[in-house]
Amino acid sequence: MVELKNVSVTYASGVDALNNVSLKINDGDFAFVVGSSGAGKSTMIKLILKEIDATSGTVTVNGYNLSKLKKRKIPELRRTIGFVFQDFRLIPSMTVYENIAFVLRVIDAPRKYIRKRVPYVISLVGLQAKANSYPDELSGGEKQRVAIARALVNDPKLIIADEPTGNIDPELSYEIVELLKGINECGTTILMVTHEHDLVRHFGGRIINITQGEIVFDEVIGGANEI
Amino acid sequence: MKFSGFKYLIGQGVDNVWKNRMMAFASYCVLLVSLLLVGLSVLLYYNVNSIIGGIEEKNEVIVYLNDDTTDAQLEEIGTLLAEMENVAEASFYSKEDAFLSLKDSMAEYEVLFESLGDDNPLVDAYRLRVKDIALIDETITEIEKLEHIYSIRAPYDFVNILIQLRTILTWVMGAIILAMIIVSMVIISNTTKASVYARREEIQIMKYVGATNAFIRLPFFVEGMITGFLAGCSALVITWLVYDSIVGILQDQVALLSIIGMGSIIQFSAIYLEVTLAYITGGALVGAIGSVVSTRRHIDV
Repeated sequence: MVELKNVSVTYASGVDALNNVSLKINDGDFAFVVGSSGAGKSTMIKLILKEIDATSGTVTVNGYNLSKLKKRKIPELRRTIGFVFQDFRLIPSMTVYENIAFVLRVIDAPRKYIRKRVPYVISLVGLQAKANSYPDELSGGEKQRVAIARALVNDPKLIIADEPTGNIDPELSYEIVELLKGINECGTTILMVTHEHDLVRHFGGRIINITQGEIVFDEVIGGANEI
Repeated sequence: MKFSGFKYLIGQGVDNVWKNRMMAFASYCVLLVSLLLVGLSVLLYYNVNSIIGGIEEKNEVIVYLNDDTTDAQLEEIGTLLAEMENVAEASFYSKEDAFLSLKDSMAEYEVLFESLGDDNPLVDAYRLRVKDIALIDETITEIEKLEHIYSIRAPYDFVNILIQLRTILTWVMGAIILAMIIVSMVIISNTTKASVYARREEIQIMKYVGATNAFIRLPFFVEGMITGFLAGCSALVITWLVYDSIVGILQDQVALLSIIGMGSIIQFSAIYLEVTLAYITGGALVGAIGSVVSTRRHIDV
C-alpha cells in the first residue's frame, strides 16, 4: 500500500516538484501514473523508494512511515518493492538466470530456494529458452521481461514500473502490460508510470494524472478492450 | 548474513581482482613500493637504535683524577659520580691496576717498564657507564665541575653522529610512513573508484533491490585485501633479500664491526616473524580500507 498525505517536495534548486499531493494506492491495485515529463512522476517514485525525502507531508509505503524510517532500514523497505526501469538495467556480464538470481543473493536467500525460484519466475515471463543468454543477445521486449522477472523474484508487495514500455516496440508494449496485469491478478500492487496514452486507453483502470506537481485526475476508466 | 551469501561475496571479490587486473596491478605496485619504503626505513631505524644501544653498553666514560688526590677525596668523588642521574655504574680503576694491565698488553717492551722501576706514571680513574648516551654532554659538563679531575675521555664524536642520525631518521621515517600511507590510500581508492564507477549500474541495481551497504562493500573489501596481501608478500621477499645482502656486506667490514659490535646488527632471522606480520597485515589493511573508502560516494542512492 502506498499513501501520500499532503506531500510537497521542493528541491534544493528551489523547484517545486510536488505540491500538496495526496494519494492512496491500496494493496492489489493496478494504477497508471501519467503526465508529461517534468510533471513530478519521477519525484513520486523517488519518494516511494526513499531516494529523496518529502519536504512536508507523510509518505507510507508497505507499512513503513518513510519520514521516520532510518537510513539503515532503507534496504528493508526496498525489499518489499520490485522496480522495473525504462532502460532495463540488466547487468551485461550476467546471464538472464544470474541477473535474476542476483536479487535473491542480495537479500541472502538460501541457495536451495534460489535454484527453485529463479527458473519459476523465468517461466512466468516465458523465457525458459533464454535462461543462459546474455542481455546483449535479447530483444528489447525480452530484456524487459527479464527485468520484470527480476522485480518479481523476491515476491514484493508492490512493483513500480517506470516507463517499462518506453524503449520497446509498440506492439510488444501490450505484451509487457499484460504481463504486469497478470502479476497484479496474483495480488501484487502495480504502479506503472507511462506517457503512452494509447496503452492507457487500451487497458483502462485507475489513471492518475500528475501535471506540474499536482494530481489533476485520479479516476477509474473503462479500457477499450472491455468495450 | 548466511555463510553461503558470505562465500558468494568473497568469491565476487576474488573474481574482481582478476576482472580488474590492470587496476589491481596498479594498486599492487603502489602498495608494494609504499610497504618497502616504510619497511626498510623501520628496519634501518631499529638497527641504528640497536647500534646506539650497543655502544651505550660497551663504551664508558673514563674520568682521570689528579695524582695528588687523597684517598678520602677519591672516595668522595666516587660517591658523587655514582649519584649522578645519568650514571648507571661507577667503578674505581686504580693506577696500580692500570699499570699492571698496561704491562700485560705490552709484554714485549718489558725493558721499558724496568727502567721505570716502582715509579707509576699513571693516574687513578673512575670508569662510568651511562644510562642514556644522548645525555652524555650534560653528564660530562657536570663531571667537569667536580674537583681533582685531571681529564675525561668519552666516545664523543661517534655518539654524536649516531644520535643525530637517530633524530633525523625518526623524523624522516615518520614523514615517509605518513606520506606513504596517504599516497597508497589515495591511489588505491582511485583505482577502486574506477572499478566502482565501472560497476555503478550494478551497485545501483543492488541498492534498488535492497542490498545493505555491507553487502555491496564486502567484495570491494576482499578485492583490496587480496591486492594488499599480495603486495605484503612481495615486499616481504624483497626486504628479506635486500636486508640479508646488506647484512652480508656489513659483516665483511671488520673495521666498522669493531666499533659498533657485531651483535648490534639485527639478523633477519631474529625478526622475520614481526616483519612478516607487519607487512601482511599492513598491506591487507591499507588495501582493504582504501578500497572501501572509495565505494562510499556511489553507495548513497
